[in-house]
Parts: sequence; C-alpha cells; structure tokens
Amino acid sequence: MSVREALLKPGVFDRRRARTDNLMVRIFQIAAFLAVLPLFALVFYVTIRAVPWLSPSFLLNNPLDKEPGILNAIVGSLQMTGLAILITAPIGIAAGIYLSEFAPKRVALVGEFVIDIMLGIPSIVAGIFTFLVLVPVFGFSGWAGSAALSVLTLPIVMRTTHEVMSLVPPSIREASLALGIPVWRTTLLVTARTALPGILTGVVLAISRGLGETAPLLMTAHGTNAENFLDFSTTMNAMPIVIYQYANAADERSIGQAWATAFVLMALALLLNVIVRRRTVNSRVA
Amino acid sequence: MAKAEEGAISGAQLDLSRQRNASADPLFRRILAVAAGAAGVLLLVVTGYLVAYSMPLWAIQSPLSFLTSPNWITGIQKADGSVLEVYGAASVIFGTAVTSLIAVLFAAPIGIFAAVYLVEFAPRRLAVPLSFLVELIAAIPSVVFGLWAVGDLSVRLRDSIEWWIASSIGRIVPWLSEDPTSPAADSIFRAGFLLGIMILPMIVAVSREFLRSVPISLREGYIGMGATRWEAIRDVVLPTARVGLIGAVLLALGRALGETIAVTMVIGNAEGIPSSLFLPGQTLASKIANNIGEASGPIQLASLVSLALALFLLSLAISLVVRLSLRRFSRIKAVS
Repeated sequence: MSVREALLKPGVFDRRRARTDNLMVRIFQIAAFLAVLPLFALVFYVTIRAVPWLSPSFLLNNPLDKEPGILNAIVGSLQMTGLAILITAPIGIAAGIYLSEFAPKRVALVGEFVIDIMLGIPSIVAGIFTFLVLVPVFGFSGWAGSAALSVLTLPIVMRTTHEVMSLVPPSIREASLALGIPVWRTTLLVTARTALPGILTGVVLAISRGLGETAPLLMTAHGTNAENFLDFSTTMNAMPIVIYQYANAADERSIGQAWATAFVLMALALLLNVIVRRRTVNSRVA
Repeated sequence: MAKAEEGAISGAQLDLSRQRNASADPLFRRILAVAAGAAGVLLLVVTGYLVAYSMPLWAIQSPLSFLTSPNWITGIQKADGSVLEVYGAASVIFGTAVTSLIAVLFAAPIGIFAAVYLVEFAPRRLAVPLSFLVELIAAIPSVVFGLWAVGDLSVRLRDSIEWWIASSIGRIVPWLSEDPTSPAADSIFRAGFLLGIMILPMIVAVSREFLRSVPISLREGYIGMGATRWEAIRDVVLPTARVGLIGAVLLALGRALGETIAVTMVIGNAEGIPSSLFLPGQTLASKIANNIGEASGPIQLASLVSLALALFLLSLAISLVVRLSLRRFSRIKAVS
C-alpha cells in the first residue's frame, strides 16, 4: 500500500483511542442525564401523591376546621417571608451598592468575605442564634421566625446586588456624572436603575429561600393550628413546618396533607425560580 | 474610581443650583456604609452569642473531651446521688462527616462530568435547558426532598443500592452489612445519598463556570496536535480548571455539612456511632434540630449551642479555604 493510504488508514492504536473517546463522551452524556433525573423523579412523585388531596378547601381552611386545610400555614409563610424581605431588601441592597460603588478595595474584599461566610452559615445555626436572642424576649413568635429568615436572606440580596452593580459599565456612571448629576442620584437613578432586574432577581431568590426554610422556623415560630393574621407576637405556622410535622403522621389524611403542602411549596419555589432564572441563564449563555 | 469621580463633581460646582443636591452625597454614602456595616456586625453578633452561650458547657467539660467523647448523657442520677453528665460530640461529628463524604462521593463525579458535557459537548439547544433544569433542583426546599425521601426514595435505595452492596461487599466488610432479618427504617447511607442529590446542582453550576473559563485555544491547540476530545479534556481542560473544580466540591461539602431538615427526616436519629453505614445515626445539625425543644437548663442548652458553634466554625473554615483557593485560580487565569 502506498504511503498515503497507510497515513489515512487508522491503526489499531488510533481505533482504540477513538473508541475510548466515544465511550467517554457517552459517559459524560449519561452523567448529565443523571443530574437532571432527580428533578423529574421528585416533581413526578410529589405531584402523584399530592393530587388526590388538593382541593379548594385544602387551601382555604384551617387545620382545625371540619375539612382541614393549610390556610394558616400559607398565610404564615407569606407573612414571615414578607416581613423578612422588608427588613433585608433595603439593608441588603444598600450594603451591596456600598460594596460595589463606594467601599475602598480592602473594605470591599472584607465585605465579600463576610457575604461568603454568611451564605455558608447553616440554616440551623441561624435558627439557634435567633432562638437564643429573640425567643427569650418574644417567646416562640412570628417576630422570631421573621428574624431567623432575615439572617438567612440578607447575604443573598447583598451578593446579587453587589454582583450586578459591578457589571454596570463605568461609562454609564461617567456620562451621568459628567452632566453634573450628584453621585447619590447617579447611583440610584442611573446605576441601580440599570442593575434593577438583577437586584430584583436577588430579592426573588431570597423570597424563595425564605419560603423553603424549615429548621430555623421550627425553633422560632414553632408552628400552630390557629390562624393568626398579622399577629407576629404569637406562634405562627408555615408550610415547611406542616410538611415536617405530617411527614411521619400515622393517619392517611395527615400524610396526604404533607404531600399536598409539599406540592404547593414546590410549585411556588419553582415558579419563582423559573421567572427569574430564565432570563439570567439565557443571558449568561448568550 | 468612584472616589475620583465624586471629587471631580464637587470640585467643579459650576452650577450652584446643583450644590444643594450634591451636599446629600456624604449622607447617602454614610447610610450605605451603615447598611454594609450592619451585615458585618450581625456576623460578629452571631459568633459572640454562640461562644457566650456555649460557655456553661466548658465549665464542666473541656472542648477536647467534647470533641472526642462518643457518649452523650444528659444527666443520670447515680447511686451516690451525684449526676452523671457527659456531652461528647464524636458520634454526631462522625455522622456529619460520613453523610457528607457519601454525598460528595456520589455528587462530585456525576456533577463534574455533567458539567463537562454541558460545556464541551451539548449542543446549545440542549445545554441551555439542561443547565436550567439542574439549577431548578437547587430551588426545591430541603423539606420537600426530605418528604420525598421518607415517602419514596428511602425504600427504593434500601431495596436497590443498599441491598446490592450489603449482599456482596457487605458479606466481607462489616461496616457495609445490614441486618438481614430487618433492614433499618432509616440509615446514614440514605441520608448521604439524599444529600448527594441536593448538592449536585451546586457542583454542576460552579464547575460549569470554571470549565467555561478555560481558554478555548488550549483545547484547540491540543486537538490540533492530534489529540481526541477526551484526551484534550483529560490532559488540558480538567487540569487547568482543577482548583475551581475542587472549590466547587468544597462549596458543596459545606452545604452538605450544614443541611438539617432533610437529613433529620431520613437518618433515623439514633445515638452512638453505628457499626454499619446501613444503620441509623445522626449529624450535628439533626441532633440540634431534634433536641433543642427539650433542652432544659443552661448546660443542656450550652451543649447544643456548642454543636452549632462547631458547625459554624466548620462552615467558616470551608468558606475561607474556598475563597483562598479560588483567588489562586483567578491568578492562574490571568496568567494563561
């Protein structure tokens, strides 16, 4: 055979390399498949178990009504997360803006590290901290629950605000400052305005995190069967608490309610994330 | 940079009508600084409270015996009237370490490989929705994972992976065997596996970022010299991104160590160090969650706060290591 043919014809060694190559690509593919599998398994299974128990009365009644429901838990979750966000959104956004716009470099580095640590704080640690500080004062209460959620959501808002503010091109700020607009107006009406979608993403992610927290609420808000509308001074119920308490219940109905509550909570969390992440994922890839 | 800009403005002051507006700047800046300071103060206060409330325990027990003793006895009246109290965290530290290691063992290879697929091979039409779906897993509350495990996953694992391992390797290795007459209702292994699923999206997302930051020219150069795609990944892409990948796994490990409610629901919450991975146990976080309601007196409370303090210091150490190692990575990136 000619030299040309010998060069073009793959040898045994090349064939083995090619086979290994294809095999590895297939393995990577399987890994990616395995990584998304739990999502489908979980959503599918929770939905199947929840559907028989989902009804208007389940969403609109309280646990002690004749047709028991989880209205007090839905209201409690929204109230405590809402209050927590009302506390952390202004502070977190302001802190994030400070770190990206005004902080001296060393302060910004320390600040980023503080955010890292706070994001890493296990939720149970935030829970026990609030338990030590606020439960002696207010007792098990909505106040304590909201405070625990605030500790956990603050770094999320700070981190996202800091990151998106840093992404705003300097030229936009400079243009505004060159027009003689004071720094505070430039920051709020130009820079923060440009970064607003990203900042809101952070706030929504914080809401989603707050809605799903369980352990810190168990030891602060405690859970209750009564409905309390805007009364933060007594025990308050939340959806994760219901799921946790009913998960190992003896009767069929309670277990069914745990699944139905899980479905509502999961749907809410996924919905919030789909809304905000669609845009961010796409823009990051593009 | 911002400072220079501000100086330029206040230096100009051509338009006197603007001056009143500009004079709000220092106040504005101070308000923002106070907010940022509040976050730092909060962190210090958390640390301070944990240390202060763990103090009563150190009065009766040394930190060393707290960390190394496997016994957790909250007060037994002895014959001579004295009370026996020992708070040893060794068994919960063991549970935390083992569940997290199992989680990383499952999640790290799958997560990194999945990230490689998303970055290197998946067509864009597939990569975008796949990444999106993986990130959605992270959005699901951990109590929902716990419920899923209690109602479905746990039994499946017991009857599949656990059974396979126990009936093969488990015959030789005692810590991988299970009680053949009645498999435990909950186990450390199942808690670890569930944790693995929960930390998977984090590993995928972080590894993806670092794999993507490997310059395309490195791959092209290697493939241009005749390497296959896999060889380029093995010899160029993975080594270049190594520090970032380790960072991804460490971050996920930190998440696994502190995860509370899902683990509490499936680990069985049994005292002591179990003889096998397929038996119930408990972790730092699950112990706190289970016992905080019944803690009576400052010493029992202090014992639980000490567990929280240990957990806090652990997560702090991981944040520190990750930050330092990733900073090294960004320097490497700048060089290459």
